[in-house]
Amino acid sequence: MAAETSAAAERQVRISRVAGRYLVFDIDDVVYIRRHHGICAVLTGTMPQNPTQNLFLSLPVELRAEEAKLLVDKGVGHIADEQTDHLSQLGTMDESTRRAYLQHLRQQRRNAQQVFEEEKAKVQAKHLDKRKAKPKAAAAERPAAVTDSADSLFSTPSPSTTPGPSKQEKEAPLPGVTPTTSTSLLSPSPSTSLSMPTPASYALYRYLNARGYYTTPGLRFGGDYSVYPGDPFRYHAHYLANGYGWDEPVAMLDLVTSGRLGTAVKKGFLFGAEKPKPREEGGEGEVRVFCIEWAGM
Amino acid sequence: MSSPDHIAALTKVVLNNLVYQHDWTGVQTHTEGNVPRPLIYGLPPKRLYVHPDEQIDIIKAEKERGEPIPQEPEVEWVLPLHLSEKWSPAQFAAVFDAIDALPPGAADQTALDADGTDAQWKLWRGPKRGKRVLLATVQDDSTVTYYWIFDGLVKPRQN
Repeated sequence: MAAETSAAAERQVRISRVAGRYLVFDIDDVVYIRRHHGICAVLTGTMPQNPTQNLFLSLPVELRAEEAKLLVDKGVGHIADEQTDHLSQLGTMDESTRRAYLQHLRQQRRNAQQVFEEEKAKVQAKHLDKRKAKPKAAAAERPAAVTDSADSLFSTPSPSTTPGPSKQEKEAPLPGVTPTTSTSLLSPSPSTSLSMPTPASYALYRYLNARGYYTTPGLRFGGDYSVYPGDPFRYHAHYLANGYGWDEPVAMLDLVTSGRLGTAVKKGFLFGAEKPKPREEGGEGEVRVFCIEWAGM
Repeated sequence: MSSPDHIAALTKVVLNNLVYQHDWTGVQTHTEGNVPRPLIYGLPPKRLYVHPDEQIDIIKAEKERGEPIPQEPEVEWVLPLHLSEKWSPAQFAAVFDAIDALPPGAADQTALDADGTDAQWKLWRGPKRGKRVLLATVQDDSTVTYYWIFDGLVKPRQN
């Protein structure tokens, strides 16, 4: 984590474009964009063997097009087309990069081994303390012994190591590690970012993000975004938000229904648009936002 | 659809609704400035809107005084619209640009009130009041629904 904050200044988030979706695979990147750029995005990874399990999702994180564009515009991310990128980079690999990669993998396995051992030592120390604290009856000691063996069972380095009968794994081989990213395979220098079209409600999104608001997809409240005044772990949403064009006609019924729904869930309905600038000035125009609430009469 | 006749009829429906159904007083139409269509302003019988931060200030003040502060109604803006209309953000922006936060006559009310020295809560009736307009949406069966529309980011009330 300390390395993460110190490297925050020049961090380049690699956004993988796969089949038109913007994905981030590196957990450090995910932490970084959430902490420093107010982007929580959506975890989409599930278990290949059990894809219907969708309560606890994992990496990769899928960014909305607005979020990806914001990172690129801020200069903290670049978009890589994974299909072409991977094929070209892997095709041009020579012997030394291959060896470096294998070395990197071995280092990761060593690190994992170290973590396992530390964890195990901690658990064992805890149980020793427990046994010292209450040496009452043998009956009390037996369950402790059971959990101890269960713990060591779970903390065996990896299922790939042969499950031998003895618990002593002094000479156990290094645990197998499946890397979650292939970034170490790729050249570290960020390839030039691909261009991307500007999403429709990008101006509103950028406006909210610049003011410290977090957004999540707004389908559950019938809008483009649910808008939180801080991290969604800590706050309820304040608004449901829709972005429109500056001269886009909006049906009054949409405003009334969204306002009504927003009030029913204790939120305001927010809509906004970017005022286009005269052509010679260019750049970003002013964003105007309006909030709607039921008046109670 | 937005012929002068239509607008005049729409304004009248809303005005009558305010006066006879909601007991508003001092209801007037407002056509000065660059308003895209006539607005209405008037005094509701009871207070319609309290900003969440204002509510905090009021509670603080009430705690200091040890007695509840009576909440007098404020003069409010009303924008009549028909349900079949479609307005763009540009048009709403034009309405807000054409009005002051305080409708005519509201300033006198606050001037009368401004006797306290450190009354934070009173400022919400004057300088701290943001621009807000009641959207009066009319349907053909003469149903009128009222929604607040605020200029800018205004956090929702804790209702």
